[in-house]
Amino acid sequence: MLTKLTGGRVYDPAHGIDGQVMDLYIRDGRLIARPRDDEKVSKEYDLRGKVVMAGAIDMHTHIGGGKVNIARMMLPEDHRADPVAHSELCRAGCGHVAPSTLTTGYRYAEMGYTAGFEPAILPVNARQAHLEMGDTPIIDKGGYAMLGSDDYFLRMLTAKKDQNAINDYVAWTLHASQAIGIKVVNPGGISAFKFNQRALDLDAQHAYYQVSPRDVLKSLSRAVHELGIAHPLHVHANNLGVPGNLDTTLKTMGASEGYPLHLTHIQFHSYGTEGDRKFSSGAAAIAEAINQHQHISADVGQILFGQTVTASGDSMRQHANAGLANPSKSVIMDIECDAGCGVVPFKYRDQNFVNALQWAIGLEIFLLVDDPWRIFLTTDHPNGAPFTSYPHLIRLLMDKSFRNDMFTKLNLDAQAMSTLANINREYSLYEIAIMTRAGAAKLVGLHDRGHLGVGAAADITVYTEDADREKMFSKPDYVFKDGTLVVRNGQVVQVTWGSTHTVRPEFDRSVEQDLRAHFDRYHTMKLDHVKVSDDEIAEGGRGRVQVQPCLGRREKTR
Amino acid sequence: MSALTFTLKISPVQRVDCSPLTPEQLHGKSVAEIAALPLWSGKRQLRVDEVFDISRIGKDGGDDDSEDSNDDHIVFLNSSAHLDRIGQGMRSGRITVHGNAGDYLGLELRGGRLELHGNAGHFAACAMSAGMLHVHGNCGDYLGAGLVGERKGMRGGTVLVTGNVGDRAGDQMRRGLMLIEGDAGDYCASRMLAGTLGVLGKVGRYTGYGMRRGTLLLTQTPVLHATMADCGTHTLPFLNLMFKSLRGLPSRYAQLDQNRVRRYAGDIANQGTGEILVLLPP
Repeated sequence: MLTKLTGGRVYDPAHGIDGQVMDLYIRDGRLIARPRDDEKVSKEYDLRGKVVMAGAIDMHTHIGGGKVNIARMMLPEDHRADPVAHSELCRAGCGHVAPSTLTTGYRYAEMGYTAGFEPAILPVNARQAHLEMGDTPIIDKGGYAMLGSDDYFLRMLTAKKDQNAINDYVAWTLHASQAIGIKVVNPGGISAFKFNQRALDLDAQHAYYQVSPRDVLKSLSRAVHELGIAHPLHVHANNLGVPGNLDTTLKTMGASEGYPLHLTHIQFHSYGTEGDRKFSSGAAAIAEAINQHQHISADVGQILFGQTVTASGDSMRQHANAGLANPSKSVIMDIECDAGCGVVPFKYRDQNFVNALQWAIGLEIFLLVDDPWRIFLTTDHPNGAPFTSYPHLIRLLMDKSFRNDMFTKLNLDAQAMSTLANINREYSLYEIAIMTRAGAAKLVGLHDRGHLGVGAAADITVYTEDADREKMFSKPDYVFKDGTLVVRNGQVVQVTWGSTHTVRPEFDRSVEQDLRAHFDRYHTMKLDHVKVSDDEIAEGGRGRVQVQPCLGRREKTR
Repeated sequence: MSALTFTLKISPVQRVDCSPLTPEQLHGKSVAEIAALPLWSGKRQLRVDEVFDISRIGKDGGDDDSEDSNDDHIVFLNSSAHLDRIGQGMRSGRITVHGNAGDYLGLELRGGRLELHGNAGHFAACAMSAGMLHVHGNCGDYLGAGLVGERKGMRGGTVLVTGNVGDRAGDQMRRGLMLIEGDAGDYCASRMLAGTLGVLGKVGRYTGYGMRRGTLLLTQTPVLHATMADCGTHTLPFLNLMFKSLRGLPSRYAQLDQNRVRRYAGDIANQGTGEILVLLPP
């Protein structure tokens, strides 16, 4: 079956195409070159005057794993207040800030997103995460396995094990947890919390293992690079949310000694201590550092006002924030003696000085980082805001007068502390396409997604140009997933099941010998039960595993 | 006095959600408008007049179909245990039910008076915050408990039950008065946070399980689990004041006037500042 998309204005930054009118051809779920004239087109879509982009990719969104379920359980009011009735096609669901899995998939697709990556898969809990993602329809998914506070790794560091041994363990973890990258959350800090440390700076020592977060970062970023994984080490740095954490973040950028690092939700790590209230924006310094350091990329983790819930593996920082919970309840817990978890509901308010400034800091970072290939659009769903607010965020980036209107409604003290109103930059459609498509695919290591070249998967989103970018991006005309039309006029018209993307670097299998002994002695699970098989993901025909090649960090294609 | 009467005319196969039929929501509507309102029944919607005969009795006793009639009193006749959520979210006015009621009777009740002459299902007075629920009959489990997933049950108001209640009466109760004249099942006052709960009859096992604060008033010594501590007998003058405040209630509690009790504190596995007071013969 040959499908033709005729006459759309195409934004495909991976190939340097910036609003060029062209036809696209799809066969068997892939984009193909222009066929011979005598080949019959079975279905043609007239996209003249429409904007065509690859399907958007959310490279950091908490859509699976234990903490999301805890958030769901903890917030029955969120689910009661936002029921979604079933339709002919879609099943019922509920939830605004922590929606049910099915609703998550539908809502992403209806916004033109075709992939989302869960950033905190705890290896011993990977099965839960994959089962939840397996229940998330339409979009592709994948995840980053969490290392860095697990005892086995910290023991290796303390014992000054050879880097090759660490590489093998990291590779084994990727295989076992079916992940596409490695994440480190508050390096060493989750473990240090259990030894009664309540803060851990980059060069502070873990009380028991006598290693510092810097050692963790150095070793893991090198392992990721040497294994050839495209996605650089995904770093949730120390001191999240602490005023003055700007210095920690700047030092963290240097900690990997040149190995690539991705600093996630960097807005939460860009705070200074100036002003009467000892809380100020560090956005300028952070953006300057990102501009200078080519090995650094970041996603913003923008906050938007309203009710949400913060769900993180960083039990140390969540424990400190639990007193700010709104509504007043929280869960801070250990998971399987190997990591932590903190879920704290939050309400960001525009009249609150700190919240208003956080909002401005996020936008300042977006606008001051020059290279859209290294800065990514996220709200750290649901930590800054639910993902359904992305169209609003895109409008804030693309429309200066709208942004300034919103800015003038903020807490006045916060306005006085921000330079946002003086920044004139407006993102172009091309830059938005880089941030949410081409750049994200390149960062995660999805070689056949995020672009519209020949051979790419036909994940395509079609919008109607509208000066109101929020309206434009919240309701695409068409969304194609692997060549199938899944959304028309912002409504799901067909439910499909996406792939789970992984990487499988080579490693020395004998690493399992020592690991098995460790699991037998200390863990709640046997080693063989930790490993998630392909069959478990593909069960019921609802998913499949797509292994992305380990070719190292892709270079820009232009 | 005017009243709007709903007489059940079918025997429902599925449960019927009667939450739209409260005085506030029907205020100012004509009988024809009310007849056309949809009620959920399972996965289908039924018109009110498919389920009920509707009649409106005016102040003079005759039929009154004027739109400005005052529907502060709603009466259900021939009611059955399939009618759920009667009086949900009611803020004022009165509802009287003759016959049995289904689950969630008086769910999130916020005011007014809801009277049932029959037996109620589970979760009666669930998440209630004010008003009065008077059941002349028995209630099922989870009387005055919280909504599913919530950490607090009933937050205020008065519940009177002349008959028996099922398990977990007053589960996570936070405030208010719940007076049961008959027996209570197992786990009475479980996880109670505050408020006053009285049972004149017997109670089942694990009374006060996980109770954190609050007062459970009994007339017979229950079998208690290990984490309820016996604190001996006391004369508590505040009981005279409390019973005095109950004088006006249409309940056997209005006749109580004792202040000699045996006191048990607990659940000491959960803070232990709750109390069980067992009234002793004077």
